[in-house]
Amino acid sequence: MSVPLKGLLASVAMVWALSAQAETLSIGLASFPESLQPGLSTNVSLNVNRQMMDGLTARDNAGKIVPNLAEKWEVINETTVRFHLREGVKFHDGSAFSAEDVKYTLDHALDPKSGYGMAGRISAITEVKIVDPKTIDIVTAKPFPTLPVALADILIEPKLYAEKVGVDGQRRKPVGTGPFELVRYVPGDRIELKANPNYFAGKPSLDSVTLRSIPEAATRISSLLAGETQIVEEVSVDLVQQVESNSALKVDSVNTSVGLVLTYDVTKPPFDNPRVREALDYAVDKELILKEILKGKGEVLQGQLLTSNTFGNNPAVKARAFDPAKAKKLLAEAGYPNGFSTAISTMSGRYLSDVDIANAVSGMLNDVGIKVSINVMEPGIFLKNLGSPARDLGPVYMIGWYSFGDADFAMTWYTGNNRRTAWSNAEFDKLFLAARSTNDTAARKAAYERMDEILHAENPSMFLFGVPTIYGVSKKLSGFNAPADRVLRLNRAKLN
Amino acid sequence: MLGYLWRRLRYLPVSLLLVLFVTFSVLRLTGNPVDIYLDMNRTPEQVEALTQKLHLDQPLIVQFGIYLRDVLKGDFGESLQFGVPALEVVLDRLGNTLELVAVALGLAVILGIAGGAVAALRRDRLADIVISFLAVLGQSMPSFWLGILLIQLFALRLGWLPTSGQGGLSHIVLPALTLAAYLIPNFILITRTGVIETSNEQFVVTARAKGIPPARVMLVHVLPNTLNPILSFLGLQLGKLIGGSIITESIFAWPGIGRLMVSSIFQRDIPVVIAAICIMCVAIVLANLLVDVALSMLDPRIREA
Repeated sequence: MSVPLKGLLASVAMVWALSAQAETLSIGLASFPESLQPGLSTNVSLNVNRQMMDGLTARDNAGKIVPNLAEKWEVINETTVRFHLREGVKFHDGSAFSAEDVKYTLDHALDPKSGYGMAGRISAITEVKIVDPKTIDIVTAKPFPTLPVALADILIEPKLYAEKVGVDGQRRKPVGTGPFELVRYVPGDRIELKANPNYFAGKPSLDSVTLRSIPEAATRISSLLAGETQIVEEVSVDLVQQVESNSALKVDSVNTSVGLVLTYDVTKPPFDNPRVREALDYAVDKELILKEILKGKGEVLQGQLLTSNTFGNNPAVKARAFDPAKAKKLLAEAGYPNGFSTAISTMSGRYLSDVDIANAVSGMLNDVGIKVSINVMEPGIFLKNLGSPARDLGPVYMIGWYSFGDADFAMTWYTGNNRRTAWSNAEFDKLFLAARSTNDTAARKAAYERMDEILHAENPSMFLFGVPTIYGVSKKLSGFNAPADRVLRLNRAKLN
Repeated sequence: MLGYLWRRLRYLPVSLLLVLFVTFSVLRLTGNPVDIYLDMNRTPEQVEALTQKLHLDQPLIVQFGIYLRDVLKGDFGESLQFGVPALEVVLDRLGNTLELVAVALGLAVILGIAGGAVAALRRDRLADIVISFLAVLGQSMPSFWLGILLIQLFALRLGWLPTSGQGGLSHIVLPALTLAAYLIPNFILITRTGVIETSNEQFVVTARAKGIPPARVMLVHVLPNTLNPILSFLGLQLGKLIGGSIITESIFAWPGIGRLMVSSIFQRDIPVVIAAICIMCVAIVLANLLVDVALSMLDPRIREA
C-alpha cells in the first residue's frame, strides 16, 4: 500500500514542480489534430501548424490579411501578383528561406497527387515564377482577387528538408520558419513546443508552449480553474459564468466569420412564396435569443449572410425588427392564416448552442401559428445530404457558412451552380462572377453590397447570428487576444 | 490444452469478418468521404483523386472486397483524416487504453471483493446497509456525471489530483476510479452473495468449529471458493469495460482507443474505426480466453467439461 502511495505523492509533487515553471504556457484545445502534416484541410491543423510555420500572408486576430513571409505584394497585371519576400529569415533547421521554398510549396500543394487538403483554396494558380531569390510572381488563369486571403492558409515548407524527408518526415517533425519549434508530439494527448530564438519578428516571450487535447468542455474549464492551463478554447455558453466568477480568470470572446442561417427549400410550398419567408423573418426575436441563449456573445446578422467583420458586408442593410403581428398579417396574405407545419434539420454541437437556437426559433414560430419540429442529424449524414443533388434535408436546414473574412467564400453557396440552396437569382450570379473576376476593390465591394440587398429582399435563408468563439484565459497572461479564425497567435504572449 | 485453445479460437476469423463487413457498410452508406474530407472549395481533380483512391465509383461489395484484400495483407489503409497508416494510429493508443482498463479492473476487484466480504460478514447490519446502498447508487450513476463530480472534488476543491490528461501515476487515479465505479457494485453484490452462501457450507462450519481465527477462515476457506463466479463475471464485463472507457477517456482527455474511435466514427474515418474494432475484438477474445484458462486452473471441473 505504501509504495503506490509514495509513487502517487512523488508524481503529484512532480506536477507541482512542473507548474512552477512560469514561462510554460499550457493550452486546452477542444479539437486536436491526429497528425502534424501541413496542408490538411482543417482549421484544427492550421491552428497547430501555424505555431511552427508561416505563410506568405497571414491573418490577424480580427481576420485582416497582413504580411508574413512576404513583406508586400503588388498586382502587376490582371492575372499576376508579385510578392516581395522577407530577407534573412531562417527555417528551424538553419537553412535560409527563399523563393525556391515558396515555389516548392505551392507546386506541391497544387499537384493532385500530393492530396493537399487546402489545394482548393489556390486552385486558380496556373504558374509560380521565381523572379529572383527574394521575388516571386504568382500567375492565375483569371483575375483572382482573393489570392492573398487564400495564401494565408498555405504554410511554406523548406524545399531541401521536405525533399530529403518526404511527406512522412514533414508529418513527424514539421520544419518551418514559425515562432515555435516542435519538441514532442504525443498523439491524442499533447504537443510540446519551444520558442524559436531566431524568429524574424523577435524571439517569443514564452519559453515553451504545451497544447493539450481536452475534448470535454467541462473538463477543459476545470483544467483552467485548477491552473493546469492558462488558455482554453470553446467555452460553452453554460460554462461562461463559471469562468467569469473566478477572479483569476477572464472570458475572451470574439466574433468569427461564421454566419448561422436557416435555409429554406424554395422549390416547395410554403417556402416557394417570398411573403412566407419574409413573415418568418419578422416572427423571430433574434435579439432575445442572442441575449438569453448566446449570453450576448456574437452578433445578430444584419439581414444578410455576411458578418460585420467580413469584406462585402453592407452596413446600410439592417435586420428586420421583431414584429409578430406583421408576421401573422403576411402569413394571412400569403394564404396561411392558420399557419402550417414544418421541420428544421440541424447538426448538434457543430456551432455554439446550435440545437438550443433551433428550439428557440421553433418556439417563436409556434407563437405565429407555425408548428416546427426539430430534426437533429448526425453530421456525416447531414453533410452527405447537403452535398447530394437532392439536398435531402427537409423544408428548412440550419448551417453556418464561413467567409474567412471575404464575401467570396460565403456568397458562393447562394450561386446557381452550387447546390446548397435551391434559390437562384440571375443578377446575384452575374454580380458574383463580376466580383470574382476583378482586382478592383471598390468594384468588388459595390457588387457584394448589391448582393447583400438581394439576399435581404428575397430571404432565401433566415439570417440569424454571427457565431462567436469563446476563450477562457488566465489574467496572468498578457499579449494574447481571442482570434476570430481560431488560430492562436502566441508570439507576443507573456506570463506574469 | 491445445485442443481447447483451438476450439475457442477457431471462430475468431468469422466474427472479425462479420464485424468488418458491418462496420464498413454502415459507415460507407451513411456518409460520403468526399463531403467530409475535402474542403468546401474543393476542385473536381481532388474529388476524382479521392474517389479513385477509395474506389467510391465501385459497388459497395467490390469496395469491401478490395479493402478486405488489403486488410488480409496487414494493411488497414491510411487514416482518411490524417494520412497516417490507420494501424499505427490505433497501436499508438492501445497501450493507454489497456493501462486504464487494467488499473480500473484491479481497483474494481480489490474494492469490490473487500466491500462484498465486509457486507457479508456484517449482514443486515449498518455496514452492510451502507455498502449495499452505495453499490446501488454507484450502479445507477452515469459515468460522465460521476467523472465530472470526481474532478470537481479531487482536482478543484481539494487540489490533490490533476483534472485530466496523461502523465504520472496521479493522472490515472480519477479515470480508473470512474471506470471501476461501473463494476464495483456488481463485484460487491456477487461477493456478498457468494460469501454468505459459502459460509453455510459444511467445510466452513467445520473450520470454524476447529477454532481457526475468523480472518483465516475468510481468506483461506471462504473467499477462494467464491472466486469462480467473480472471475466468470469479470470475463463477461470486459467488453462493457472497454465500451465504458470510451466515455471515461473523453471526460478525462485520456489518449486511448475509445476516444479515437468516437472522433473517427464522426469523421467516417473507416480505416481507423476498423483497425480499432479489430484490435478491440482480438483483445476481448484473448482476455476472455485468459479468464477461462484461469477458471479451469482454479476449478478442475471446468477443464473436464
